[in-house]
Amino acid sequence: MIIGANPAENHPISFKWLLQAQENGGKIISVDPRFTRTSSKADMYGALRSGTDIAFIGGLFNYVIENNLYHKEYVAKYTNASFLVHPDFDFEDGLFTGYDEAKRSYDRATWVFQRDAEGKILKDETLTNERTVFQLMKKHYSRYDVDSVIAVTGTDKESYLKIAQTFGATGHPDKTGTIMYAMGTTQHTVGSQNVRSYAMLQLLLGNVGRPGGGINALRGESNVQGSTDFALLSHILPGYLGVPTASAKHATLKDYIENETPKSGYWVNKPKFIVSLLKAFYGPNATPENEFGYHYLSKGNKNYSHISMFEAMYNNEIKGLFAFGQNPVVGGPNAGKEQAALANLDWLVAVDLWETETAAFWTKEAGMNPADIKTEVFLLPAAASFEKEGTVSNSGRWMQYRWKAIDSKGEAKADLEIIHSLATRIKKLYAGDTSAKALPINALYWNFGHGDHPDIDLVAREINGYDTVTGKLVANFTKLMDDGSTASGNWIYSGFYPEDGKNLSKRRDNKDTGMGNYLNWSFSWPVNRRILYNRASANYNGQPWAKGKEVIWWDDLKQEWAGYDVPDFLKTKAPSAAGGMDPFIMLADGVGSLFGALNEGPFPEHYEPYESPIPNAFSSQEFNPTIKVWTGKRNDKGGIDKYPIVATTYRVTEHWQSGAQSRNQEWLSELVSDMFVEMSEELAKEKGIKNKDKIIVTSARGSIEAYAMVTKRFKPYTIRDKQIHQVGMPWHFGFKGFVTGAIANHLTPHIGDANTMIPEFKAFLCDVRRAD
Amino acid sequence: MEYIKYIDVTKCDGCRACMVACKNWNDLPAEFEEFHGSYQSHKKTTANTWNVLTFTEHVTADNQFEWLYRHSSCLHCTDAACEKVCPENAISYTEYGSVVINADQCVGCGYCVQNCTFDIIELATKKDENGKEYKVAQKCTLCTDRIAEGLQPACATVCHTDAIMFGEKDKMLKLASERLNQVKERYPNANIYNPPGVGGTHTVYLLAERPSVYDLPENPETSYTAKLWKDVAQPAGKLLLGASVMGVVGAYLSNRLFNKEVDESSLNEGGKDDEQK
Repeated sequence: MIIGANPAENHPISFKWLLQAQENGGKIISVDPRFTRTSSKADMYGALRSGTDIAFIGGLFNYVIENNLYHKEYVAKYTNASFLVHPDFDFEDGLFTGYDEAKRSYDRATWVFQRDAEGKILKDETLTNERTVFQLMKKHYSRYDVDSVIAVTGTDKESYLKIAQTFGATGHPDKTGTIMYAMGTTQHTVGSQNVRSYAMLQLLLGNVGRPGGGINALRGESNVQGSTDFALLSHILPGYLGVPTASAKHATLKDYIENETPKSGYWVNKPKFIVSLLKAFYGPNATPENEFGYHYLSKGNKNYSHISMFEAMYNNEIKGLFAFGQNPVVGGPNAGKEQAALANLDWLVAVDLWETETAAFWTKEAGMNPADIKTEVFLLPAAASFEKEGTVSNSGRWMQYRWKAIDSKGEAKADLEIIHSLATRIKKLYAGDTSAKALPINALYWNFGHGDHPDIDLVAREINGYDTVTGKLVANFTKLMDDGSTASGNWIYSGFYPEDGKNLSKRRDNKDTGMGNYLNWSFSWPVNRRILYNRASANYNGQPWAKGKEVIWWDDLKQEWAGYDVPDFLKTKAPSAAGGMDPFIMLADGVGSLFGALNEGPFPEHYEPYESPIPNAFSSQEFNPTIKVWTGKRNDKGGIDKYPIVATTYRVTEHWQSGAQSRNQEWLSELVSDMFVEMSEELAKEKGIKNKDKIIVTSARGSIEAYAMVTKRFKPYTIRDKQIHQVGMPWHFGFKGFVTGAIANHLTPHIGDANTMIPEFKAFLCDVRRAD
Repeated sequence: MEYIKYIDVTKCDGCRACMVACKNWNDLPAEFEEFHGSYQSHKKTTANTWNVLTFTEHVTADNQFEWLYRHSSCLHCTDAACEKVCPENAISYTEYGSVVINADQCVGCGYCVQNCTFDIIELATKKDENGKEYKVAQKCTLCTDRIAEGLQPACATVCHTDAIMFGEKDKMLKLASERLNQVKERYPNANIYNPPGVGGTHTVYLLAERPSVYDLPENPETSYTAKLWKDVAQPAGKLLLGASVMGVVGAYLSNRLFNKEVDESSLNEGGKDDEQK
């Protein structure tokens, strides 16, 4: 099931394999507001109004439970379905227990399990006790019956039932099904809960940890997985260690470790990972006496994600910005505001292949008066991916080494070289300085060779980790220590370079090592494991659930786990041993969380997008009660009086992100050379718009001009007897390059998810009219 | 060895890598056309855009919606009208089954353009070393230069779904007929497009719908006049009467040849004489 993704257009090489699966008898389901190139190849298509994924999936929970399609044994023991929830936990009119309206957040005191005197969680594996997670979930989603759901999503009933039946059938132990998603899922004010709802559906159907199962994030760029793993986000350090904050619980390394290390599950090893990371950061300057340099880490107490940073820039709170391969003047939400924010900077460094709209934000073609702009702009030419070497990690967590194909032109440099040059120069600048601000810079251990070109092999060795005394590479993260005797730049990757001359990311052995695994091709973190939580691929006795679905199994003679993959489990822990049936080793309880808290609550609940065309049918909470609502200038919210039409943005096969790469390439530019807005024939008729007409699209943030593309691939939704229109448009265009066009993000709002602050690009309100 | 480019449109996901690969290999310039109101970038093939992916929104008889794609390029007919009407013998068949234009022999008369059964060939405007403009007919070569080196056509090489396959004629035709049975359930109107009226083609389609849905003629034939020109008038003219008289003899025929789009007055334009003005 492909929902919130369009792989035929945005991940075409993945689609090659999907079509092969289809040849082998697999069924492809496409769920999307618009009939896409993916939908055209799918076996079935379901339309859903943008921003109604939770209703759609909640309806599937209901269907799967009511029709007894869930994988009963799996649910009973491999998830927390049997756990008894706190007696006071409740849900009413869109809110879970503990909501604080003033803070727009929850007190989670009742979002916990009942425990006995020894602290053990109370369970009922018959799943009949009304306080079990299963019964609470069943009750919660009993409201999501098919008719109620389609009255929100706008899906045609016959299609919905066909999809429910088809995907629901994967709950049988003989079958598995996977869910593929992308930014159509995540870029919502309920983005995290959208993803979580998919994960819960897969737990219900017993599709996690099994071959052909799981939920698969289709990343927005080829190395999004790698960059996330390496903490290109504001709230994590490499390897998903939380960033310490300016708070009492993180005041010292001891406090951080005490408050951030769970009492059970694999994360009990966290102290080893954070200390080894600090040793990688600060080298010999990290000692047990100075808490391994922990105090050098900057600590704040704000949100530092994209929207927050641009709001701060707009409010003159930030002086400088490095934009590495990023083009917010085109790609940022509320891009007009973000462009204005750049003018408040003292300096901007744009690192890119071309002069992007961001680098040129101050020019006349950008609509600015250069004389009014005081921002000093530096443009550093960057090398393209094939002009440098290094690794790219795909969404299967395969870390694949790539070699340089050609030299860069002119002065273009790899990002690594640019960072290296900056680091060595900044360190030189602060050498001998003993002021407070200089200390972390001087303590930074930057030892990647001499000159401006860093030795990438030294970087790779540091990531893997080494013994700080002997310098010898460690075998993998199980060898990392919390006493400073090891360093590792990213514990989850530790093991990709276990000994000299063995950088496993360079492996290219194309042999199927069983069940479609290619264990000797590249390296998959952690420890070359291809399917996470693969203990769940075997039943209670440690045997595969079904023939043809084997991953790992318990070998009773050898008393160890054997199979086609690296076991995601202690190799010698028998199914009958304590915890032998707890596959989800990274979670404290060892089982999958049907009940698991995000900021909105333990069960995903449908809320309308921030800008919605219709009142919420499920509760009086119109939009996510825990999102941060930005106030101040240029944060207007559009209502249906002026903006009755739902809009979404997307990408097309032929262009790449903000177009910085593709609009500077003629052969791609000619394929999609104009900014367009897709709309249904019905809406076009209503508005007197003909195909190819120039139209104006307006939202509470701005207005743009584009061509109308009138198509049968968009249909109006009939929602509670009301006809609701939706339009869609690519966000690839800007004012630089061979082909130019209006910037779609002049329309999108500064509003984000309650957990991640990912912007709601995919559902907002607008109006359309003919340009003349 | 006779080869076929076999295009299974039911496997195509419309990515258009074939269009980029073609331009890349053949070093063809981008052509920016006006907005066509759909995902289609070019109305049809041109002298510098040798293949165009067509996008068709189609509602079937039982009210099913289909979005159909077709890699449109030269079909490399066995009885190619272009080859037959070319007064300079600039167009020829190769041993691989491809129909190719010799740019050095081509005088840009446009007969081939007017007579192409599938409206594929067009004239490119180029400049000689003195900056003088001249015309030359251009179209897909089936990557004959690549085939000669043992390579597949560029479009087939990049097609990630194997919607474009290239291989020995019999093998490809067998693949197509096997595939036809597989896709009939989803596409009851599916058919193999290898029209006998042009002697069969070396670009063979497995279409999901009737040819007309894809703007292809249902039963195309190499025109009688084109055959007559090539097989009777031209050899007769060249052999017996000399080129200057040939024009007179061929007047009736050429009139017919140009009937397709241009009026009679344009008969006086184009061709070698015009070219050398």
